[in-house]
Amino acid sequence: MKKNWKSIKELLKVFYYSKPFLIMRITVFLLLFSVIQVMGENSYSQNTRLSLNLKDVSIENVLDEIESQSEFYFLFNQKLVNVDRKVDINTKNKRISDILDDIFAGEDVNCLVIDRQILLSPEYMTEAVNVTRDRQPQEIVVTGKVTDEDGNSIPGVNIVIKGTITGTITGADGNYSIEVDDPNATLVFSFVGMRSQEVVVGSQTTINIEMAVDEIGIGEVVAVGYGTQRKRDVTGAMASYSADNIQERGVIRVDQALVGQMAGVQVKQTSGVLGSGFSIQVRGAGSISAGNEPLYVIDGFPLATTSPNASGSFNVGNPLDNINPSDIESIQVLKDAASASIYGSRAANGVVIITTKQGKKGEPKISLNISSGFSEASRKLELLNTDQFIDRATEMINAMWVASGSGRTSGQTTEERRQILGLGEGLVNTDYMLDDRWAQPGYGGLHAIDWQDEMFRKGLVQNYQISASGANEKVKYYFSGNYSKQEGMIINMDYTNYSARANVEVKASNNLTLGIKLAPSFSIGNDPGIEGKNSLLHHIVSLSPIQEDLPENVNVFDYHAYKWLIATSQLNSPITKSKYTIGQTKRIRTLASIFADYQIAEGLVFKITANLDNTDNNIKSYIPYTVMGTLTRRQLQPGVSTSGSFNTYRKQSFVNENTLSYNKVIDDIHNLSVVTGASYNSNKLETASLNSLNGFGNPVINTLNAASAITGNTFETKDVLISFFGRAQYSFNDKYLITSSIRRDGSSRFGTNTRYGWFPSASVGWRVTNENFMSNVKLINDLKLRISWGKSGNYNIGDYSSIPLLGTSNCTFNNALAYGQVPISITNPNLSWETSKTVDFGFDISLLKNRISASFDYYNKLNQELLLNVPIPRVTGFPSSLSNIGKVRNKGWEVEIVSHNMTSDFQWTTSLNLSHNANKVVSLAGGQKQILIPSKFDISHSILEVGQPMYSINVVRQIGILSKEDIANNVALYGNQKEGDPKYFDYNKDGMIDANDRVIVGHPNPDYIWGVKNSFKYKGFDLEILVQGQSGGSIYSLFGRSLNRTGMVFSDNTLATYNDRWRSAENPGAGEVGKAYSTFGRIKNTDWLWSSDYLRVRNITLGYDLNTLLKSINARMYITAENFFGYDKYKGGYNPEAANTDLSGNSLYPEAGDYGGLPLPRSLILGLNINF
Amino acid sequence: MKKIYTYIVIILFIGSSCNEKLDLKPISSATTVTFYATTNDFIQSINGVYNSLQSGIKSSSPFADAGYPDRQLGLSEIRSDNLYAVADGPRVYEPINNFHKTISSNAYVEEAWNSNFNGIFRANILLDQLEKNGDVIAPDNLKTRIEAEAKFLRAFFYFDLVKWFGKLPIITYPVSVDEAVNIPRSPVGDVYQLIIDDLKFAADNLPQPESYAVGDKGRATKYAAKGMLALVYMTRSGPTYDIEGPGLGLNEWNLAMPLLDEIIANPNYAFGTSYNDIFSWSNENNSEVIFDVQYAAGYDPVVGATYPSLLAPVDFLRSAGKTKVYRIKRVSNDLLARYETGDTRKDFCIHQTGFVFNNVQEIGSFVKKYVDITNIPNNNADWPINFIVLRYTDILLLKAECILHGAPGSQANDVDAVINQVRQRAGLSGTKTNITLSELLDERRKEFLGEGSRWHDLVRFGMVESVMTSWIASEDVLNQIRPFQKDYILYPLPQAELDVKVGLYEQNKGY
Repeated sequence: MKKNWKSIKELLKVFYYSKPFLIMRITVFLLLFSVIQVMGENSYSQNTRLSLNLKDVSIENVLDEIESQSEFYFLFNQKLVNVDRKVDINTKNKRISDILDDIFAGEDVNCLVIDRQILLSPEYMTEAVNVTRDRQPQEIVVTGKVTDEDGNSIPGVNIVIKGTITGTITGADGNYSIEVDDPNATLVFSFVGMRSQEVVVGSQTTINIEMAVDEIGIGEVVAVGYGTQRKRDVTGAMASYSADNIQERGVIRVDQALVGQMAGVQVKQTSGVLGSGFSIQVRGAGSISAGNEPLYVIDGFPLATTSPNASGSFNVGNPLDNINPSDIESIQVLKDAASASIYGSRAANGVVIITTKQGKKGEPKISLNISSGFSEASRKLELLNTDQFIDRATEMINAMWVASGSGRTSGQTTEERRQILGLGEGLVNTDYMLDDRWAQPGYGGLHAIDWQDEMFRKGLVQNYQISASGANEKVKYYFSGNYSKQEGMIINMDYTNYSARANVEVKASNNLTLGIKLAPSFSIGNDPGIEGKNSLLHHIVSLSPIQEDLPENVNVFDYHAYKWLIATSQLNSPITKSKYTIGQTKRIRTLASIFADYQIAEGLVFKITANLDNTDNNIKSYIPYTVMGTLTRRQLQPGVSTSGSFNTYRKQSFVNENTLSYNKVIDDIHNLSVVTGASYNSNKLETASLNSLNGFGNPVINTLNAASAITGNTFETKDVLISFFGRAQYSFNDKYLITSSIRRDGSSRFGTNTRYGWFPSASVGWRVTNENFMSNVKLINDLKLRISWGKSGNYNIGDYSSIPLLGTSNCTFNNALAYGQVPISITNPNLSWETSKTVDFGFDISLLKNRISASFDYYNKLNQELLLNVPIPRVTGFPSSLSNIGKVRNKGWEVEIVSHNMTSDFQWTTSLNLSHNANKVVSLAGGQKQILIPSKFDISHSILEVGQPMYSINVVRQIGILSKEDIANNVALYGNQKEGDPKYFDYNKDGMIDANDRVIVGHPNPDYIWGVKNSFKYKGFDLEILVQGQSGGSIYSLFGRSLNRTGMVFSDNTLATYNDRWRSAENPGAGEVGKAYSTFGRIKNTDWLWSSDYLRVRNITLGYDLNTLLKSINARMYITAENFFGYDKYKGGYNPEAANTDLSGNSLYPEAGDYGGLPLPRSLILGLNINF
Repeated sequence: MKKIYTYIVIILFIGSSCNEKLDLKPISSATTVTFYATTNDFIQSINGVYNSLQSGIKSSSPFADAGYPDRQLGLSEIRSDNLYAVADGPRVYEPINNFHKTISSNAYVEEAWNSNFNGIFRANILLDQLEKNGDVIAPDNLKTRIEAEAKFLRAFFYFDLVKWFGKLPIITYPVSVDEAVNIPRSPVGDVYQLIIDDLKFAADNLPQPESYAVGDKGRATKYAAKGMLALVYMTRSGPTYDIEGPGLGLNEWNLAMPLLDEIIANPNYAFGTSYNDIFSWSNENNSEVIFDVQYAAGYDPVVGATYPSLLAPVDFLRSAGKTKVYRIKRVSNDLLARYETGDTRKDFCIHQTGFVFNNVQEIGSFVKKYVDITNIPNNNADWPINFIVLRYTDILLLKAECILHGAPGSQANDVDAVINQVRQRAGLSGTKTNITLSELLDERRKEFLGEGSRWHDLVRFGMVESVMTSWIASEDVLNQIRPFQKDYILYPLPQAELDVKVGLYEQNKGY
């Protein structure tokens, strides 16, 4: 035992310290300190002598005995100091210090004796406190008050002048007073379970401090769905994200902030379009067609589950749309079924619980955040430049010319070819004739264009946020307002968001609390249609880098298309097109919750809530004919190609939940917490769309009143979910923890016989460190083993899927419309949810005086009764029927480690998360072994095969380039392949290459995802670096189909790898790309297969506390760089996570992939954060 | 404690009448449970079956349109010696033209199977509902008419299928999945029996053309059924080629004769005086038409046609300011050479003069029978023009064919005279005598170019093997087409169908 005998003259009143706001029903867990009130003289501890004779009694009894014999009073935390240990003690007239020395010999216990007050705690917690009574004469007297986040005063906080042994402790009212001799002195405030703070005194004489709970601290409370729980008592698998640093980083979307932060939570930025939702997967994907996005719960309000559509975008909104990240207090992700299944049929993909900010007791707090910077494309694609393009085009045109007839040689001039073809003067055949200007200096007046440079720009990003919060006995409030505007990396792409939030809670009487949470928002997003097949980005990379006109004039207005461009495509300048195209999304979203909390009796609370989430969204599109189609058409039929549309949706979720909760502590060791409730949940979607028909009469007007004619329709759909649920948590002596929950859900989406389902779960935890046998293990401060099992569901199929619906199927007789109705699906009246059963084993550990804390989880999740579209014979009328069949297993493990590497002046904390997930199709319908996922583009390239990961990539493998010998040896060929064409692997050895030679070459989901965050603090500076990545997955990029296919025509640009193509047997290039001109066509092969591995320095933020410099201001300045550095293996596109195009063309097997997705934006933002 | 119970009661209250709350009916769709309750419901139901003719089930390939006309152009015209549709890259029609073996996942092939079986399902579910709820239909004979229309269309779909695929699963009611996976392909003869039974019922119960209201013009008539039935008998009478294809080698030419004669004698039908006018947009439903697939433009959802531009190249349409992604499918030199000088059908059906688009010259010839370059709809998937399936000239030539096969009739009056009549209308002078089957086939080729009959004619005439083999030898200078085999008379079953339950269907020979 290390002695640290100190006393001070301050009189102490230490009160039971608690945080009512956070602890709610589990306050008793937080009985950390006793209440004492002692008064006396300085030297009491030195002078008092005690005699004790006790045998085989617990330390606790010894301390009791000392207290009864003397005026000493002990403060300690039973969780941290083991007082159950039995000791023998026999002393006569010994000083208290010697007695304690004996009792705690060999233990990691520090005894701080402050007059009559004795604080017992693990050594590391009091290290910083070097208080002495041998003080030097002081000059400046600094006073102040230390409070917690709720504004409650904290007694007993250690305040030390840094680098000295001088210090003091706050009194019962949280006030302190300390004399400092140097204005440059730094005060260090520290308290058990709170984050230490340092403040330079400067000219201040009053320094008030608000202390925050330490993340690894013992008091942290997390939301677990229908209640909260102390983090250290959690028995399920849960990831937490404290949203503290959202503000410090200046993110615009909540999901953006979550990237790389939590083990087992994969956040994919699938689109570069501003304001669009990210895709989140918790512990891999377990559903083939019913969606893999988690359920989002904001302040207890479960939002409607949505999945990206077949094209990868959230076309009726993402649950996190328009939500201001700065309003968020914390985020918890419930990962295993045990913790998530309280949300029953919606929890199979995990549950994300978001808690917004709440007013805290104390002076009203006003906070202002301003940030501004720029955003730009993080990368360009390497394409052929103008010279390389001309080189390839010349080679191909000559080859086509030579192949087109006998006597034709590549040496023949353009004029000679014209003669041979018999073309009139001025007429050309672009397949056979070169543009002579290509070879001339300066391209004979043609323009060399880098389309990417023309299109990408630096966009201005700004964000303004103000918030006010506070609380008193009766009212808690938090108000905020936010304005943010981002300009995109592309012309005419931007996003503006206005949002506000009011969280108000009123204590109407002793028993009754009423509250309201209101968050209206309005956003405007502009996107000229940049991502996806045949959209602008696709055009930018495909367009020939040599043109007759300037970039903005290519084939628009009165300019025609360059002849050597139009062979396959009729492309209009994407630059001009994006300028003149309107693609505007306006969204008004209001999240509203009201609740009433009534305490019926001690520990028994009834709560009723009503929530409404209303989104009104409209999308206006307009493309004028002046930037569309051909010059001929623009001239002959002006206005006809102009198109416009106006699409709206209104989405409403209404949820009423009523819960009864009960908390009880019996004999200090039995801790029981029960909640039960019922909920009604309905989601309604109303859509309307108006489209112009046959162009616009007046092309100057961009609203539909100018359209020649209009078509339109409206559509409505609704579902209802009714649920009952209950959960019981019991802990014994803080050592043994048991949680069990059950939910019964009934959904309108399922068949009458199968509407209701049960979703049970159970989990247990064992805090090993609380066992006696662990009391000598100094290395481990805390160790908790957890094991859980649970069942949850996924109900994400369309409404009415079990009802045989009819669809419109019109025909015509004698040129008049004849309405028709036909059944549109084969239905299954016994349709029910997918179920997901998860077993989870994990442990949480704290080591080396809590310097290192870690969590580990292993899970095995089996999704079964999948909502699978089983292929059926077409003689039924349909290709497939939706059934509950098939199984998918996800197995994996997760590690999270937080290490406080350095805690002195220079603070350095490392947080690491790493997770592994392996996904496997266990069974399909009947004895079926595989389902080939249809492809909208050429033959199928992905497969569901039993024993393989979902959506495995199944294509022909390229194994080199065909040589003359290969041809002579009759190797397997695809079609009329020739020397210099790619050589493919003849898997089935039938002597020819075809679809039957496809083999599985990869899978889309990564095997490992990881994130490492390093935070540094020194004096006023703080620095945070987040690096994240993934490995083991593959991307099959159909973007490659537009950029990198065999048999491409010369007029489309291609990847720079074509420079290393096969040109002749003597000049075979890199052995990967065949000769430029080929006629065998294409078969899906490994050409478009890329590893999706990446490593990205997602964020670097450097902050400086202006307070250090200017004493009068409580402000922080920061600069943050997002996505500035990175490395990935995807060279066939911009973003390995991109999803923007429906690849399967079949809603039964949704497969969204990349066919032209924007690069991630990289931004540099300067921010200022002021608190009043 | 009482209080607690009160709150528990409040919580549970929410759950009362749960089932009622969960019993949601679709807001924006009808369901089969509530449909089939009125006469109009049944009319809409039969209209839905006609829809299968005109739009079919689109495959995921953007280059393949669906519906009976598109299918005939894709699988019959392109496969035949009429078009030399070699491609500059992988196009959906290329393996059809080039006799690739690996076409079991080809979009055209899949469409033929899928659309027809979906149509059969639609007809079956209607027939099933007619039996259950048909009594609501008033007047009574309307119920009979709807039943006859449904059976006509079911036979129509099956006949189309049997020509492409041979043996087929026979489905006569809406089958469940469990049933479907146990219904194998039946012999062609059995399939024909269903077709003949259905067509006979239709011929007996469908109305005379004149008894349809004006707004019903285009529905199947008694004579449409008779004409189809005649063609069925004739197709069955074609050679077997030793494959289980549409020809059974039956000698039923004489069974077709009375049916054809009945149509020829009916005053509703007549030999069109002008070839071009038969296909005129402004002359639809003319007296040549026995049965057609009807289209109209400007409706939403679209009920217009896509087939007119299927054989015309994109730039041709672009030169009129339209876009469409089809590439040129050249008319074969062999066919171009077959037209005698002065044959107006050549210029009407084939664009031979090339065109310049954006200073680029196209010199190939292509079929533009339905395309009037000055009159192209704004929406290229919404052409208003009907596709004639069976027309009066065809009936006359079919009769001639029966006679040449030995059915009773006169060579001079029913064969030579008919051919000469057709030739005269095409602007050709001179009369021909002692017309042979081979000459008849040649005349049919020129008369019906772009109407989708060439492949079926070659097969029925027993000449597909010899004609295709020699044509490939002379036409295929680019050496793209694989040698013809008899197995190629049929298409392979879609691979997806074979994959559903291994062993349920066997693949056709040669694939």
